[in-house]
Formats: sequence, C-alpha cells, structure tokens
Amino acid sequence: MGLKKLASKLSEYNERLEHGKAHKIKVVHVEKILSKLRGKASDLESEIASTKNDDKKARLKQKLKTATEQVRRAEWMLDKIS
Amino acid sequence: MRKFYLPVAIAVLLLAFWFSSDAQEIAAGVAIFLFGMIMLEDGFRLFGGGTLERLLERATGSTPKSILFGIFSTTVLQSSSLVSVITIGFLSAGLIPLISGIGIIFGANIGTTTGAWLVAGFGLKVKIAAYAMPMIALSIILVFQQSKLIRGIGYALGGLGFLFLGIHHMKEGFDAFKDQIDLARFALPGAIGLIVYTLLGTIATVIMQSSHATMVLILTALAAGQITYENALALAIGANIGTTITAIIGSLGANFQGKRLALAHLVFNSVTAAVALVFIIPLREAVDFVSATVGIAAGDFAMKLAVFHTIFNVLGVVLMLPLLQRLIGFIEHRIVEPVPDVSQPYYLNDAVDEFPQTMESALRKEVLHLYDNAVELILKGLNLDRERVLEADSIAETVRKSRTLIEVDIDEEYERRVKTLYSAIVDFTTRAGDKRAAPEYADRIYNLRDVSSKIVQTVKSIKHLRKNIVAYTTRSQGTATDLYDGLRTEIARIIAEIRKLSLTEPEDRSTLWLDQERVQIEQDSRSTAEQVDRLIREGKLTPQAATSFLNDSAYAYSAMRDLIEVARNYYIEPDDAMAEVERLLTLEDEELDEVFSDSDAPIAPSRDNGVTKASSNIGRVE
Repeated sequence: MGLKKLASKLSEYNERLEHGKAHKIKVVHVEKILSKLRGKASDLESEIASTKNDDKKARLKQKLKTATEQVRRAEWMLDKIS
Repeated sequence: MRKFYLPVAIAVLLLAFWFSSDAQEIAAGVAIFLFGMIMLEDGFRLFGGGTLERLLERATGSTPKSILFGIFSTTVLQSSSLVSVITIGFLSAGLIPLISGIGIIFGANIGTTTGAWLVAGFGLKVKIAAYAMPMIALSIILVFQQSKLIRGIGYALGGLGFLFLGIHHMKEGFDAFKDQIDLARFALPGAIGLIVYTLLGTIATVIMQSSHATMVLILTALAAGQITYENALALAIGANIGTTITAIIGSLGANFQGKRLALAHLVFNSVTAAVALVFIIPLREAVDFVSATVGIAAGDFAMKLAVFHTIFNVLGVVLMLPLLQRLIGFIEHRIVEPVPDVSQPYYLNDAVDEFPQTMESALRKEVLHLYDNAVELILKGLNLDRERVLEADSIAETVRKSRTLIEVDIDEEYERRVKTLYSAIVDFTTRAGDKRAAPEYADRIYNLRDVSSKIVQTVKSIKHLRKNIVAYTTRSQGTATDLYDGLRTEIARIIAEIRKLSLTEPEDRSTLWLDQERVQIEQDSRSTAEQVDRLIREGKLTPQAATSFLNDSAYAYSAMRDLIEVARNYYIEPDDAMAEVERLLTLEDEELDEVFSDSDAPIAPSRDNGVTKASSNIGRVE
C-alpha cells in the first residue's frame, strides 16, 4: 500500500501550520501514537495465538494487517517529522 | 411572594432616598460593590474553557485537598458564594463527589475570612478610592481587547476596582449617617440582643447576597460608632448564615447533588453560628488573647472582628470535620437520589449552564448517556440482549442463539429515550455557543453535537431494519435468517469494539484502532453484496427478496459507519497535536480498499453466520 495520500495530507498540514491554522506536531506526539499502535498490534498477535475459532482468527489476522499498516504509516511520519 | 419582592425593595429604597441623601450613598456603595462582584465573576468565567475544571478535578482528590482548594479559591476570588455556586455546578456535572464539594465549602468558609482581613486592614484605613479609579480605568482598556484571557483580566481588575469604590461610598455614607440613625436602638441586653443582631446580619446578607458586603457594612458602622463591638460580632455570625442564600438559589436549578451541597452549606454555617453564639464569651476572650499576641490594639475593633471571623470559621471546620460522614449521611437521607429517568438529561441543567468550565464535561457525559440509550435501543431493535452480547465470547454464536422476540416499540422508545436527550443536547450546545466561547472550545462543543446527531442517525437506520429483523430472526428461516444474523453480528461486533475502546485507559487507546473496524466493514459490505449475487444466481434468493435485503443492509452498514464516526469523534485525543497526528494517520476511504485488496487471501464470508453453508430455503425478505 502506497503512502501518497498520507504524504499529501502531511504537506497540506505543513501549509496549515505555516498559516498558524494547525497545532505543531512534535516527535513525542508521533511516538506516543506509534506506541499505542504497536501495543494494539501486539495484543492482536496474542489474541490470534490463543484463538481456536478459524473464522475469528481470520478476522483478527485482517485486523493485524491493518494495525501493521498503521504502524508502518506512523513510522514513516515519525521519520518525516524528525 | 417573589413577585412582591422587587416592588417592595424599590419602594423601600425610594423611601429611604426621600428621607436621607446619605442612604443614597450607602445604597449606591452597596450597588457598586455588587456590580464589582458581578464583573469579577464575569472575569473569572472568561478564564474558563477547561483550566479551572482541570484544576478542580486535581484539587479535590481528598478532603484536606478539597478544603485547601476551597481556602485558596475563595481567597483568590474573594467570594465564598461564587465558589459554592461553581462547586454546585461541578457536583451537578458529576465531576466531583459530594464529600469533595463539602470539603470545598468548608475551605471556602475559611477563605472568606481573608475578605474581613482585607477590609479591616485596608478598607477602612487606606484611601481605597485612590486605587479604585486607576483600576477601573485600566480595566476598560483590557475589556475591549480581542484576547479572551486579557478581557478576563480586564473584567476581574474592573471588578476589584468597583469593589473598592463600593467600599469607599459605603464608608462615606455611614460617616455622614451616624448622627441620624442610631443602630444601637436595636440593641437588646443579653442573649436576645445577640440573636436580634444575628438575624439582622443574616437578613442583610440575604438582601445583598454577599457576606463581604455585610462585613464592610459592619466594619463601617462599627468604625462610625453606630454599633457596639458585641453587636458587630453577632452581625458577623448572622452574615455567615446569610451567605448560604446564594448557594441555595444556585441549587434551585441544580440536580439532587447540588441541592445536597446547598443543604450541607446551610447546616454547616448554621451549626457554626450556633456554636459561636453559645460560646461567644470564651470566643471573645480568645479574640482578645490572639489580638494582644499579634499586636492588634485593644481598641482596633475592625481588626479584632477579622480575628473573630477567622477564629469562629476555623473552629466551625475543626468541629464539623469529624462529623463529616454523619453530615453526609444526614443530607443523603434528607435529599434522596431520585430514581434515574433515562429519558431525561442527567447532566445538562441550569447550574451547569451558569459556568462554562463545567459545560464541556457535562455535555460529554450527556452525549455518553445518549449513546448508552441508543445502544440499548439498537440492540433491542436487533432482537439482541445487551448484556449477553457484550459478555459473549463469540458474538456470532450469541446472535445465532438469540431467537426470542424482544418486545420494544422502537418508535416510541426513540422519541422517549433518544430524541428527548438529543433535543436537550442541541439546545444546550446552541446556548453554549452563544457565550462568546473560544474557537477551539466552540469546535469541541459542536463536535459533540455532531456526535449526538450521528448517534440519532444510527438509531433511525436500525428503525428501518426492525420489521424484517422481527420477521426473520425470531425463528430460523434459512438463507434470509442467516443474512440478517450476519448484519446483527456485524453491528454487535462494532458496539463491542467501541465498548472495548471506551474501557481502555485514555493514555493507552487510540481512535486509529477504529480503522481496523472500518476496513472490516467495507470488506463485509462487499462480501455481503457478492454473497447476495451468488444466492440469486443459485436460485436461493428471489431478486425481490434480495432487493429488500440489500436495502436493509444499506441501512445496517450506514449504522455501522455512523457508530465508528461517533466513537472516532467522541474518543478523539484531547491533546490538539496528538489529535492532529491521529487525523493525519487515519485511513481515507479509498485507502481502506487498498488495505483490503492487499490482503493475502479474501476472508469472506467473515460473519461466521453460516451463510455459505446455508440451506437452500429461499427467504422471502419483505
């Protein structure tokens, strides 16, 4: 999955920031969100490991996939903000 | 009775003005003083928007903390009445428990004695008008500034200026008045005299709604020789009872907790007054001792009155603290908590309306109340028991087993439990928006109104489903039942996920988690449509039945998306920068498809409802 949309949102955010219409994002803010996302991904992994129901497991795997993607996006953003 | 109050008060004032021009000066002094208090209050209201709220929440963690906060806030605000009314607002909003509220009131009674010190120390000795004029002049410049904080400082400064000016005029009035009126004629010997002056102090404070104003009157009358020192002590005791009137008036529009606090205030101040009256002689001796120790002249009755005011209020707190739990027990027994009516707003009331500091928090709680009512109704509308669903290990399994009809008139319940609350929220947010709120504060208030609107929208969507839910889920009818069970399962799962999010500590949760549900919703929506197509092709579902189901599923998926939006906006990060990060990282609708299409393998049908293994019965979906 590409990050074009996120890059465009970040650029739009920078414009807003220049005009004083956005709150300044610091590294610590992205790190906190990243930590929450990693926490969720880790919880999902544990839940997948303990689930026996195949259907539930499949759903959880899909969720984990989304969570992993979110972590990747947050890491990319952290890199851009730093 | 109330309708006579205004004409009688005006008539009495006019009559007094007719007979004495000095009465005009005193009355004008009182009026200016009270105007100053109003300005001061307005100034502090402008400081609102969360700061005071956060402070109160932190400051009332224990009884000693509450008392200290009461002392501090009353010293700063110079109005125990204002602090008590704000506290009623916080109690009504459910932000603090009754015990903390009473602690603040105890502290306020000590804090208010600083006013007597200020008046005794400065009010009668310093040319306060000299300070008042520059303060008022400076304040008006600040009041016309754009910044809310500077305007607040302007109002507060102007308020203080008017307080000082009012004191000056009252003093001038009494100076000239002393030869014309002999307040000493109310003096009666012994206990009766004490009681008469206590009553006079109470009445004066009730009329002026300010114990500070009464203290000023007492000190000025004392300095002018109108009353004796003993009369002044009794008047000060009376003022302590009279000051509870503001809290009592403030509690009229408050809920039961606010009324309990007002009663606690009245009981506490009355008991303190009674103790002070009974022990007036030892108290007077204690005042003389303390005054002599700290170097106050024996004839400086103004300062001695301030000492007395402090001693008897501190004594009151010391006496009542061990009885705090009994006092709470008594009050809770006298004012019983009403059986909650879920159809009525719990948190939005007139007391909250008075103080913007409490508004946002009360509104958040009321929106949650609306959400609770809505979820109850949504699940009933889907023929599901809330407890069973939320406690279920497998929601799909629980849904499959939920075949008993849950009787509910969804239209009537919608009107009673959802629309009433929503109307109250819309009305409240409109009024809150009128109060010249800061843009960020107004945004948060209007965001909560939008959240409420989405909640209502969700219930409306479920109303459309109800008929076919009743028809197809109370007994198994093959394919159609499986399809509707699928929708029920998905909605129930979303509700369960939102509950999980709400139960997670704010510092650990992120609304970005909801993107996982959003991806799932789009995936389920697509697989449901594909499934219906397949069922039609296989002849297991008639096109008419399919159309009905697809209409219903459109409402169901709309409800799911609305529920996610509700949670996303309600649980958004309170920190603006963190909220900005979440907004940037949130997946856009087209990105949801990308995450979905990037899947290693399709997971459909993911509803675990058995549709793929369904029998060939053709459901007639209406």
